[in-house]
Amino acid sequence: MLQIEKGSDQIVLAGRFDATQVDAASVVFGQVEETITVRFEGLDYISSAGLSVLLHTQQRLSRKGHGLRLAGMSPHVRLIFDYAGLDSVFQIE
Amino acid sequence: MEQHFTRDIESLDAIFSYLGERTVSLDLDDGTTFAVKMAVEELFTNMVKYNRDGRADILIDVRREADDVTIVMVDADSEPFDITSLSDVDTNAPLHERRPGGLGIHLVRCLMDEVSYEYKNRRTSIRLVKHIS
Repeated sequence: MLQIEKGSDQIVLAGRFDATQVDAASVVFGQVEETITVRFEGLDYISSAGLSVLLHTQQRLSRKGHGLRLAGMSPHVRLIFDYAGLDSVFQIE
Repeated sequence: MEQHFTRDIESLDAIFSYLGERTVSLDLDDGTTFAVKMAVEELFTNMVKYNRDGRADILIDVRREADDVTIVMVDADSEPFDITSLSDVDTNAPLHERRPGGLGIHLVRCLMDEVSYEYKNRRTSIRLVKHIS
């Protein structure tokens, strides 16, 4: 199960971002119009389905000169971004 | 041991519950547990997505022998879809050219040390092995 909390300057993710969470997460990320930080400290797991939500959001925001800043990844989650080559398309702190 | 799951994305909750129990009982470390969960989700979602009309449940088995973890997934009513023959994903493409398609299988290949595929009489069997370092 994924928990998403959206504030004015950050989105906080916690739990498991799997394929069952894509629709709910897309609604939240679809509301983002400017650069925002996504906090990963509480996120235990993300699959390609979760990555696709972030990727689509990044593509949409980049056309307006904005983007997602990703912060606080665990080593396991960070490794997935590296394998996917997404470390070069996101600002990862 | 092995368990059957209904061909539906909503089965993922039950699958993660099964994998949670299996990875604990097999005494797998956090990194291996993460890899096992990701590989199973990616393959299961592919089986559901590309074979919606299949009638059989999907079998998942996770076992450990010494420092090898073996995952077997079987879809007994499927069309052929050889995951070992897919082209590599371009992980260096610029942002606007990125597409999520194929990323899941790419990650499975990265996370697992062996990936094998068999298809016979509508039965797909995928076997993955990860060496625990």
